[in-house]
Amino acid sequence: MSAAATAVELTAPVPRHRRFAGAAASYAGFLPAIVLFGGFFLVPLAIIVCYSFWEVVNYDVVHHWTLGNYDYFFSVSTYVTTMWATLWVAVVATAITIALAFPFAYWLSRYVPQRLRPLLLVLVVVPFWTSYLLRVYSWLTILGEKGLLNRFLQWTGITDHPIGLFLYDRPAVILVLIYLYFPFAALTLYASIERFDWDQLRAAMDLGAPPLTALRKVLIPQIRPGIVTAVIFVFIPVLGEYLTPQIIGGLNGIMIGNLVVNFFQAAEYTRGAAVSLLIAAFIILLLFIFRRSLSAPEAYGG
Amino acid sequence: MAVMTEAPEAVASDSMLSGVELRGVMKRYGRHLALAELDLTIRDGEFFCLLGPSGCGKTTTLNLIGGFVAPTEGTISLHGRRIDTLPPHKRPVNTVFQSYALFPHMSVLENVGFGLRMDRVAKAEMRRRAQEALALVGLEAYGDRSPAQLSGGQQQRVAVARALVKRPAVLLLDEPLGALDLKLRQRLQLELAQIHREVGTTFVYVTHDQEEAMAMADRIAVLNDGRIEQLGTPHEIYRRPATRFVADFIGHANFLDVTVEDDVAVLADGTRVPCAGGRSAGPATLMLRPEALRLTDPASPPPGSVRGRAVQSAFLGAHVRVNVACAASETPLVVALQGQDVTAIPEPDSEVAVAWDAADGLLLEPARDGQVGP
Repeated sequence: MSAAATAVELTAPVPRHRRFAGAAASYAGFLPAIVLFGGFFLVPLAIIVCYSFWEVVNYDVVHHWTLGNYDYFFSVSTYVTTMWATLWVAVVATAITIALAFPFAYWLSRYVPQRLRPLLLVLVVVPFWTSYLLRVYSWLTILGEKGLLNRFLQWTGITDHPIGLFLYDRPAVILVLIYLYFPFAALTLYASIERFDWDQLRAAMDLGAPPLTALRKVLIPQIRPGIVTAVIFVFIPVLGEYLTPQIIGGLNGIMIGNLVVNFFQAAEYTRGAAVSLLIAAFIILLLFIFRRSLSAPEAYGG
Repeated sequence: MAVMTEAPEAVASDSMLSGVELRGVMKRYGRHLALAELDLTIRDGEFFCLLGPSGCGKTTTLNLIGGFVAPTEGTISLHGRRIDTLPPHKRPVNTVFQSYALFPHMSVLENVGFGLRMDRVAKAEMRRRAQEALALVGLEAYGDRSPAQLSGGQQQRVAVARALVKRPAVLLLDEPLGALDLKLRQRLQLELAQIHREVGTTFVYVTHDQEEAMAMADRIAVLNDGRIEQLGTPHEIYRRPATRFVADFIGHANFLDVTVEDDVAVLADGTRVPCAGGRSAGPATLMLRPEALRLTDPASPPPGSVRGRAVQSAFLGAHVRVNVACAASETPLVVALQGQDVTAIPEPDSEVAVAWDAADGLLLEPARDGQVGP
């Protein structure tokens, strides 16, 4: 069809204004997205970028260009440490989440009968029916000093006094983050594994590949776009998390998102804007690393 | 087509031993018995067919040899060495899957070379042997393509090349031509038989298509309900089917309910009809192939012929099929008249008599309850 259209254009040139009208019509569908994306994302982002290069004097934002906000952030060692710790938490939480979600998606699409799958997928999504805050708080009743975990340990006699270590530190934050983001990873991975032809794995083993090698050489390369999507779906929101670290992590579990909140609450808008952009920079870096796996042809098996 | 230069080493060194041996192999899925006490010896280098309707256990047997299914009981050995305890990737056996199962993210050459890569064969050697295997199936020019760019028949050939490149002691083929149209299927049957002669590897071929089995196999095992009904050459199985099931499954067969008295078959109405004998007195089934039947003049029928009415005649090119309704059989007898008889096609509804030679009337076990003709 496109070849025919090209042929017509070549033989009979269309007047310029009509060609423009035609092109505009074919992009009309983008209009709502452009308005939404431009008005509620690009413009606010531009404001934040400007803020991050301005300064606050007497609780007022002054349009005075400076790199001071970034300078300040990197001069305070606690902030820098928090930044690296946040990256570390995000990497570990993402890795463990994917490591748990992969076997789940694999098992679901290979061994669970077709008719039972919708039920299991609904069970994965059920936690979303309650509020985020409630789900985070409920972990306090599990990990706290009088929580389920401590009571169980005392009941079994492993310990005779409550262990406070479970809460208010990074491991607890990572645990809760895994719990929160598992469904995203599981659903994304399931969607990409579901179409896989399992005979290929059998063929690989038949040709001499041990089971794990067969997975690595045959299944993983074909679902790479799904894995990358799952990584992005978990890593990006985790990087900006501030409620979970605050509720579960306490002072020791603080993450970079908490710094943003603190700056804004202290009316230090320009410093808060600078830290937000640092988070954005890490996300852009991540997308850049994965740019090839996210290109459309590969994602659709072309 | 190029000839593979080296013979499979395992075959060459152990040619005195039998190929694949299944002893007392039983497979149960929960309460369902997929295979019951299977004893089977597949000779080295033969083209062996497992033939039967779906659910008869033929694919289970193949999966047992390939290692994708573990037997509930029994042992499987290859050249005298037990293999049923080995995982699939350690068995010197390769498989051509029904869906081909080519790896879409690799080129044709990488697909064919995959098995060698797993064996850590050096790159140059791997390329050479993969190219050689592609030449064997006539696709040497297609190595750089992706499997998605090939037709169904070409993909099937790549699957064969990929499975043969490691020179397995046994090649398993699971209905490899099932997805192709008739013309292509017939051409590939010839090619597979040719490849089998060139490489000399044992082929174990699963199919539900009796013509396919007859066209290629040295020996056929007809399976039904997890049991071997008969094992033999295509000729034996067609000419001397051991059971009613085999007679019915291979080609077309007419069945008449008879009683055997003094080595003679007697119909319900008392007519004594010719048969090959060899069965003790009592109820039996007389099996007659359509091409063994003749139509004779009803005015002076030879002794032992069956009178009936021609209900339908169809000219099928190579032969004429006439359906004859008669009292001795619930379903019309099917008579296949060869070329020279074509002028004698009976008019519809005309009276005819059907005759046959005693040697062509095979006596089989009587119909079981609920088993009514074909």
